[in-house]
Amino acid sequence: MKEALSNQLKQNPAMPMLAVLMILFSTLSPYFFDAINMESIAANNAVILIAAVGMTLVFLTGGIDLSIATVISVSAVMAGVIMGHTDNVLLGVLTAVSVGAAFGLLNGFLIGFLGLSPFITTMGTQLIARGIAFSVSEGIAVQGTPEPVIDFGFALVMGIPKITLVSFAVLLIVGFLVALTSWGRYIILLGSNPLAARYCGLNTRWLELSVYLASGILGGIAGFISIANLGNALPGVGDTLLLIIIGAVVLGGTSMNGGEGSLTKTLFGVAVLAVLTNGLNLLGIPFYDQLMIQGALIFIGYSIAMRLNQAKR
Amino acid sequence: MSFKLLFKQKWLPIAVAALLMSIFLSFVSPAFLTLTNFESVLVQASVTAIMAVGMTFIIILAGIDISVGAILFFVSSLFAQTLNTTGSVALAFSAAVISGCLLGTVNGLLIVRFKVTPLITTLATYTIYRGMALHLTSAQNIPVPREIGWMGNGSFLSIPVPVWWMLVFTVIGIYLLSQTRFGIYCKAIGCSAQSAKESALPINRVNILAYAIGGLCAAVAALILIARVGGLQSGIGIGLEFTVIAAVILGGTKLSGGSGSVAGSVIGAIFLVLIDNGLNLFNASPYIYDIVRGFVLIVAVLVDRVSVIKNQPNALKFKTSSEGN
Repeated sequence: MKEALSNQLKQNPAMPMLAVLMILFSTLSPYFFDAINMESIAANNAVILIAAVGMTLVFLTGGIDLSIATVISVSAVMAGVIMGHTDNVLLGVLTAVSVGAAFGLLNGFLIGFLGLSPFITTMGTQLIARGIAFSVSEGIAVQGTPEPVIDFGFALVMGIPKITLVSFAVLLIVGFLVALTSWGRYIILLGSNPLAARYCGLNTRWLELSVYLASGILGGIAGFISIANLGNALPGVGDTLLLIIIGAVVLGGTSMNGGEGSLTKTLFGVAVLAVLTNGLNLLGIPFYDQLMIQGALIFIGYSIAMRLNQAKR
Repeated sequence: MSFKLLFKQKWLPIAVAALLMSIFLSFVSPAFLTLTNFESVLVQASVTAIMAVGMTFIIILAGIDISVGAILFFVSSLFAQTLNTTGSVALAFSAAVISGCLLGTVNGLLIVRFKVTPLITTLATYTIYRGMALHLTSAQNIPVPREIGWMGNGSFLSIPVPVWWMLVFTVIGIYLLSQTRFGIYCKAIGCSAQSAKESALPINRVNILAYAIGGLCAAVAALILIARVGGLQSGIGIGLEFTVIAAVILGGTKLSGGSGSVAGSVIGAIFLVLIDNGLNLFNASPYIYDIVRGFVLIVAVLVDRVSVIKNQPNALKFKTSSEGN
């Protein structure tokens, strides 16, 4: 029992952090464990969780997807525009997902097939996505979100916001794919030893493409959820999210060097940052002081996680 | 310099691209080929170019510094705040320069001490430095007095001061990279950290120094920027790190480390301004700029990649993880 617990702690270094933060904030603020507060934490982090799932996949292969945050923006804007004209929600979802998929394919093709470095490639597509989001929306919130989408953003099922359920569903489905399919094992092999993956006869090009495609699609889904959550498609919605997404993934203990990490870790990482932001807001800490605490926590969390990973070997 | 040597220079492709761009722009608009416009291009490029000089050393070391924009913001905040409260220009300037070096050094220390990937370390310090800067000024905008405007708008020997700074940093950067032990160590460590370790090179000291230089460059860039803007604004420096990295990459420095060119980075920064200049001539929407920059960046690495594949047909087949992020 004790061993299992200590194993669990080693697996998820963010878990004790989460526990400490929750105890701390619930003693400091009577509102923290309020149902409404819990709902708002869950709803406001659905977008981040979905995108963080995509980033985790990319990190597992040893790559990085800097474009995911602005892919959220561009798919939200495109879906918003389409829905504003047609009032068709399904078409909006399809638009968001296909815009995300298009960026994912572009990234995947450039990185997997042409061998460009993930960092520069996604830095470039990040700019392109942002530029398109801002040109199409002319820099302002897209008007005309259909009522059902806004209602969906507020709806609860057994006290849990529907958009949170969507994010958990995404986490579960992708988690299933990673843990139980050969695709999941291949991407982890690709991340831990690309040369071995090739000598095993894996088609690493398609594998890399599939991962960036998945990340793009998840960005698209996150973009659509952002409309439901905020009520409008905002061209700048992703601008500040990149750091939080990467921060959450590494805080959870997924390594940037590939092969080491899991979606459970990412869930804890997202939860830590979510609780931290919410708790500090409840305590009335100004946002700039929150930034300092956030940055320090990400750094400390990642260095502890890396140390534990090395100790395991 | 013989022709053979010239063709081996890493900055040659970007220099040719910048030249072609200039020729194109001068055909499109008569206003382009004026001395005033030439000066303004250089002044506009100066902030990015100076920061790109520092970033070149960091990238040659196979590192990266995401926090430079935040350092620039912190230095601007500290400068404006010091000037506002004490009124002493000398104090404000020294505080700015020292704090820039210090923040860069902290980056370097964290990276070598805790062995955390430079990307994550500087991502964390990016957040922390921005928080510190906003804390310092309580997120207020602070105007700076006109007298310090010479740093951004003044000229010396009829050449704008920012261009002088750019020249000074370029020359020092080129000298450091090609003529000093520090520069050679940078390349060696970036090429193979393992071999460098086995050859007992001072890896930690070189790393810390490189990040400190990055911080210093950001500090000087901050002084120019705040003088040109005329005060502290809360949006200063956001997204600048990507522009700086783009300039370095366009200049022919590889993200995987080991080799690079200071002159290339500076020309890369100028090239980015030329693109803006061109889009401006066509009255393009400001939102298009991002799209064009993204394309330029991808095309640049694509061209580079194609030339590698042409020279070594196996390059595509044997892509290994050593190419880095």
